[in-house]
Amino acid sequence: MDNLDAARLQMAFTLIFHIVFACIGMVMPFFMVVAHKKWLNTRNPIYLKLTKSWQKGVAIFFVTGAVSGTALSFELGLLWPEFMKHAGPIIGMPFSLEGVAFFVEAIALGFYLYGWDKIPEKFHWITGIIVGVSGVASGILVVSANAWMNAPSGFDYINGEFLNIDPVQALFNPAWFTQALHMTLAAFTATGFAVAGIHAYQVYKNRQVELHKKAFKIAITFGAIAAILQPFSGDLSAKDIAQRQPAKLAAMEAHYETQKGAPLYIGGIVDAEKKEVSYKLEIPKALSFLAFGDFNAEVKGLNDFPQDEIPKVPIVHYAFQTMVGIGTLLLLCGILFFVSLKKKKWWNNKKYWLLFTVLAPLGFIALEAGWIVTETGRQPWIIHNIMKTEDAVTPMPGMIYSFYMYMAVYALLTIAVTWLMSRQIKSLNNSK
Amino acid sequence: MLYVVLFFLMFSLLLYVILAGADFGAGIVELFSSQKNRHLTKKTVYRVMGPVWEANHIWIILMIVILWVGFPNFYNVLVVYLHIPLTLILLGITLRGVAFVFRHYDAYQDQSQILYDWMFRISSLITPIFLGMTFGAMVSGQIVITEDYTNFTFYSLFIQPWLNGFSVLVGLFFAALCAFLATILLIGEVDENTPNIYLKKAKIATLVVVISGFLVLSFGFVQEVYFITNFMQNSYSLGLVALSAVLIFPLLYSIKKEFQIASRTFAGIQVVLVLIAAIIAHFPNLIITTTSEISLLETTATDEVISVLGISLIIGGAIILPGLFHLFKSFNMIKILE
Repeated sequence: MDNLDAARLQMAFTLIFHIVFACIGMVMPFFMVVAHKKWLNTRNPIYLKLTKSWQKGVAIFFVTGAVSGTALSFELGLLWPEFMKHAGPIIGMPFSLEGVAFFVEAIALGFYLYGWDKIPEKFHWITGIIVGVSGVASGILVVSANAWMNAPSGFDYINGEFLNIDPVQALFNPAWFTQALHMTLAAFTATGFAVAGIHAYQVYKNRQVELHKKAFKIAITFGAIAAILQPFSGDLSAKDIAQRQPAKLAAMEAHYETQKGAPLYIGGIVDAEKKEVSYKLEIPKALSFLAFGDFNAEVKGLNDFPQDEIPKVPIVHYAFQTMVGIGTLLLLCGILFFVSLKKKKWWNNKKYWLLFTVLAPLGFIALEAGWIVTETGRQPWIIHNIMKTEDAVTPMPGMIYSFYMYMAVYALLTIAVTWLMSRQIKSLNNSK
Repeated sequence: MLYVVLFFLMFSLLLYVILAGADFGAGIVELFSSQKNRHLTKKTVYRVMGPVWEANHIWIILMIVILWVGFPNFYNVLVVYLHIPLTLILLGITLRGVAFVFRHYDAYQDQSQILYDWMFRISSLITPIFLGMTFGAMVSGQIVITEDYTNFTFYSLFIQPWLNGFSVLVGLFFAALCAFLATILLIGEVDENTPNIYLKKAKIATLVVVISGFLVLSFGFVQEVYFITNFMQNSYSLGLVALSAVLIFPLLYSIKKEFQIASRTFAGIQVVLVLIAAIIAHFPNLIITTTSEISLLETTATDEVISVLGISLIIGGAIILPGLFHLFKSFNMIKILE
């Protein structure tokens, strides 16, 4: 494996982990403050217990998110020094603001975690809200920096130099809104279904049913609403990509031949050598409509791009199918949850709880698949149409060992965090 | 606006060294405590650092961001040639952070605590050592900047600059500074009924700081490390170090009189003086390679970028600093009430 592949794998690997930790750390505070508010309103001790147990989860995920984020802020430079040398000044603004938001979050979390019975009740609750809001703000800012790689703006590229830099325009690049919206909704969907799934399993196993049902309801409400809104955001993203990164769109759909009234492929096996897709389900003219809002619009196929400027089609296509497939499933289950609020007897059916247990990991799988689409789909560019990833990588040889080390550390971290969470739940169930 | 940015860079560096330094130092003190005192230290560290330690460590992110936005070429040299020690720092920060949370938030207090504790203590020691080694490497005069990777070995380009006697000594000196800060902090945190074990530790830490500082200077002098010979001719640097040394007397006095705030302030000022002395000795040429010096100021980003960065930092500072102040204040006041 060469240095570039090792560096890319390391970046992918650390991002995949960071995304999970960061999303949970960003969304769970909202569940926590809802439970906290219910405790303040009803003084039902179950809500207090739930709040305190979720806050431990928030603390653990916040720290793992924070340290893996610190690692990433270094890695950007360590792995891609050429990129940071030029892009650093341009995309510094979202990162410095993210630093501020993150700082605010850490301060608020300090108050929240250690403030029980020490600071005024109302103020204490508000610090919890600040944790959540600043977490989401940091998420949006980081995604804006990523969006800049897809839609570079805020500078003039003249003779290989980045001139007339305008950091504000770079922050509000053309892709920031669609990407940030899609990611924020995805974070709520994934975390909502994951947390709800864990509590659903406890209900299924008949442990502390009252508490876990309350927990389930709070988490799934967030997840279900986000899942129902997500297709609208996805549509915005698709239309945006069709304009700005047609090669990415073509790879997502494994669309090789340029044609008018292009069909949409669902599933299928991609043969990148023969440039064919077999065993697919074809919906006539749907791709043209989804991408341009016109059934007869022309969609440029992969064959009409320079062949060294297209991403690896199978990865992007499969990841995209996974994301959309799971997204649709979660949307339907989100609706099912709202229906179940009317049909209370479903809540006594074990299968209901089993269903939501099985759904637990799916949101995160879809979310990671989505990131694989956007990151792999951008290749070979690190800055779209400006700088190639292979020109940005560190000149230091032996990145493969660095990759092995990170893989070992992050794998251990994941095992440790999972183990810790299972102990939290066990302790919650054993408490009276 | 460049001065605003430089101010924030310096400000975050100093705060990181003082706050995170004391935090690292607490782990070092715990590592060098006897079996029965370890538990006491662990409890005290948690009570004092718990609410603030995460915020303490964000200063380094701020530094990194300021460097890459405002001083991209300078930052580029660091990340390319000091890749390995920076990675090791990261590893240390990661393991330490999770160990701290694991040992305080695990639902069960059982055998696994032993693992978390050792992870915490050891990473508390090695992280500041690598931080110091990185600074040592920057000024060691051993970095080779080249485009030609075939004529140099991996060792001479990527290892030798930081893994040498001088850099290692700087690393040890920095770890000693951290331990010194932590002991002064912990002295004020022991309740009145137990004998204050940190008094003795503070004395030892002070001694180690003095000895390792002396070793850095004399080793650098003997090996003719350009930075050190320059440092020793710079009257401002020497003056600051001397002032820092003199402050030991008021520090000892305030420790004896149990003026906690005064002793912490003196210790903090001492470390800040040493740090400033090291930085101004060669400012702005903060990277010294085998053949040249790289100035922080020579390769700044354009004026527009610096302006926007400066404005962001001012706004950010206006949001963060009152909050942070309030956080520190709240939990100190609570402690006094208890």
